[in-house]
Amino acid sequence: MTNPIFWVGVLTLAMIYASLAMSLNVESGWGGMWDLGIAGLLAAGSYCYVILTASDPDLGMRFAPGLSMWVAWPLSALFTGLVAFAIGAPALRLRREYFLITTLAFAEIIRQLVVIQADLTRGTVGIANINRPFDSFVTGRDYNYVLLGIAVVTAAVMYVVTRQVGISPFGRTLRAARDNEAVALALGKRVNRMRIKTFVLTGVLIGATAPVYLFYIRAISPQLFAPGITFTVWTALVIGGLGSIRGGLAGALVLIVFTEAVGLIEVDPAHINILVAIEPFLVGLLLVLVLRFRPDGLFSERSSFGAARRSAGDPAGDAARVAGG
Amino acid sequence: MQNVVFGIVTGSILAVATLGFALVRQTENFLNIAHAQMMALGAFVGVVLVDTYGMNIFLAGAITVVGLGAVGVVLSAVFFQPVRHQGGTVLLFTSIGLALMMYAAILALFGTQARFYPDVSGSLHRFAGIGIATNELVIIGLAVGSIAALQLFLNSTGLGRAIRAVASNDDLARVRGVPVRTVSNTIWFISSAFGAMAGVMLGVLGAVNTEIGWHNILIVLAAAVLGGLRSITGVILAGLLLGIMMDVSALIIPTAYRPVVAFGVLVAVLILRPEGILSIQRRKDAVVA
Amino acid sequence: MELVLDTVRKTFGGVVAVDDVSAVMPQDKITALIGPNGAGKTTLFNAITGFDPPDRGSISFGDRRIDGLPPWRVAELGLIRTFQTPVGFTTLTVRESMLAAATPHFAETPVGALGLSRRARDHERASAARAEEITAELGMSDLLDVRTDELSAGDRKLLEFARSLMAEPKLLLLDEPAAAVAPANIGRLSQLVRRLRDERGLGSLIIDHNLSFLMQIADEVHVLDRGALLASGPPAEIAADPEVMRVYLGEETDGDG
Repeated sequence: MTNPIFWVGVLTLAMIYASLAMSLNVESGWGGMWDLGIAGLLAAGSYCYVILTASDPDLGMRFAPGLSMWVAWPLSALFTGLVAFAIGAPALRLRREYFLITTLAFAEIIRQLVVIQADLTRGTVGIANINRPFDSFVTGRDYNYVLLGIAVVTAAVMYVVTRQVGISPFGRTLRAARDNEAVALALGKRVNRMRIKTFVLTGVLIGATAPVYLFYIRAISPQLFAPGITFTVWTALVIGGLGSIRGGLAGALVLIVFTEAVGLIEVDPAHINILVAIEPFLVGLLLVLVLRFRPDGLFSERSSFGAARRSAGDPAGDAARVAGG
Repeated sequence: MQNVVFGIVTGSILAVATLGFALVRQTENFLNIAHAQMMALGAFVGVVLVDTYGMNIFLAGAITVVGLGAVGVVLSAVFFQPVRHQGGTVLLFTSIGLALMMYAAILALFGTQARFYPDVSGSLHRFAGIGIATNELVIIGLAVGSIAALQLFLNSTGLGRAIRAVASNDDLARVRGVPVRTVSNTIWFISSAFGAMAGVMLGVLGAVNTEIGWHNILIVLAAAVLGGLRSITGVILAGLLLGIMMDVSALIIPTAYRPVVAFGVLVAVLILRPEGILSIQRRKDAVVA
Repeated sequence: MELVLDTVRKTFGGVVAVDDVSAVMPQDKITALIGPNGAGKTTLFNAITGFDPPDRGSISFGDRRIDGLPPWRVAELGLIRTFQTPVGFTTLTVRESMLAAATPHFAETPVGALGLSRRARDHERASAARAEEITAELGMSDLLDVRTDELSAGDRKLLEFARSLMAEPKLLLLDEPAAAVAPANIGRLSQLVRRLRDERGLGSLIIDHNLSFLMQIADEVHVLDRGALLASGPPAEIAADPEVMRVYLGEETDGDG
């Protein structure tokens, strides 16, 4: 019914969101840090990459070193890690909703700075036709498959890295400190330092995903990094299951495929507004429905860490052991 | 000085919007991200009534405020009531979901074109070299009036006192037989009505576009946090202060930095003076321990 | 090595919770801290472990001053405490809780998480064996894969104790370890506390209301009353002290002793 290139694009986008959601899960799911500043970190990584690779003098940018994308890519990841450190070090002194407000505010500050520093970023005009890897070898529509390959590899790397963090002693201590900070401190855990490291790690992972996002979008401008993208990533993670290993991946696939597929519905051009509204509506609706009917998401944290099922306060176990002792 | 006047006008609107937000935060115990979308909805409903149906601005404003107050009650019953027992996180993210749906509804109903209220600024009054338009005076007057009315309601009616009881301790209020459902509905009505009123005021002063909600949620959050979320006076002062700071800063640095000033102040206050917030948290941890 | 308190004082808004307490607690002995509710026992624990630093006075462990240090630093020096309300790491299993307590700092970094370090892997394996050993001694082997929030209150209490043993303690600070624990398990608990002292030279500072449990295992008893130290001495001496009986047992007529 539709051409396969469309679905290739949808899958590519789903893999990008999956990468972001899995990165977010490390700090929010396991670290317990509710970060609403994903858009800001993504903006930092994206603009770092675009500026470092820019070379065209016609763009009129003050700084355009024209680095190779293979150099700029890891640098963007590192730069985003630095930005995360600058945000996290002060913000992590705050708890819960105050942390959440602060990260949201920082993300908006970053976006406004992008608008204002127009001689560096081209402000609201943005930059189009961003160079993509291998596009001199593969051209036209076939390039979409290359892009899907890049996105799948990125998501796979994110899955392996975040899974490893999750099942490692580091991830275990993160979850422990999330559950009970006082007990973690009493056992000698440097909770705050560990959270800052986690926040920086998430920054690096988001910074590493940012160029792939740009390859897909092809044009960059500040409005891409409005809070909406943060909410979409969060929705994907909540649908998949906050704190589970596969949640981000599954949630992003469900969310993106669903919203893009509904976008295929033929709409009378007179009702174009409805088409524009469908995506935010579905993202919101899915979030509300999942929270109401399956708050643990598709995969729960429990299923990821092999805890045995046991009804709360099962008296049989107690009695047996008392008798045995 | 002129910018101080602008700041007072901005601050009055902000105070009205933030009071509605803080009321829900205090009684229902979560940050309602959808609140700013109620502001956007108010701005749009108002502009449609005035611009498309040629209604008088005051009548349109009154209909918008009362109508959206009722809509708020319905939305709270449909979206928040069923997940109430699941606590703050779930409520907060549900409100993000609702905000997205309301945003989508605004896009679908009103389109992406910016709309404008017909010029209702009225004549310019001059006091000692400072100009202020009639509509700005009316906005300040309405803000003061509605806040005073809210204060009076909370202090001198049975329902108002019940709301204050819920704000201080939900369980206690329930035990003592305060009609929690009625109280909750009233809170949502007031909160949404205040949001809608702030939206209409914003619209009268500038352009109405679909992004109003997202632009304002952080400013409202900032005012709410600065005001301490607890006292009405605190929220009013924070709203005014933030409004004045945003407008006065325009004299020193480019106006493009206006929102950055608000967020910068928020972040600075949160980070430099966290003692109040943190010490409460520490106590709680100690109790858990 | 000893834990030394020197005129430690802590007030909360005018109320003196700990009133110039001075005491010496040997690291290899079992010391009991008793007193009626509100005597300031837990406040003293919080002061020692850095959760609520004292207003005045000094606390040292061995040759180090520890007052004013953050909680994690005090724990690193070997003073490991448990909590009165055994909430624990709610979503972690017993095994995970035990292992988390034992994880060394060098494994707690994102790079360490990649699992490349042989040292970290060896440490993890050794910890896993030790976790099974300790839980077995406390009769909790069948609970290893149960989540903390699904344990009974008594089992959570035992887990508090078991977990603290994983963190390389030099002195245990146990806040009501026997409360809510089944009688059969209290026996195991006292045995283990004693064996730790005798075989490993690991002492405990214990707060509890179960006097028969405390008087049996303690080498030295300190009695707190309204923040101040009322009496100190061996259990037999304390049990015979008429002043202590009046203040303490007068309020706890349903006392287990």
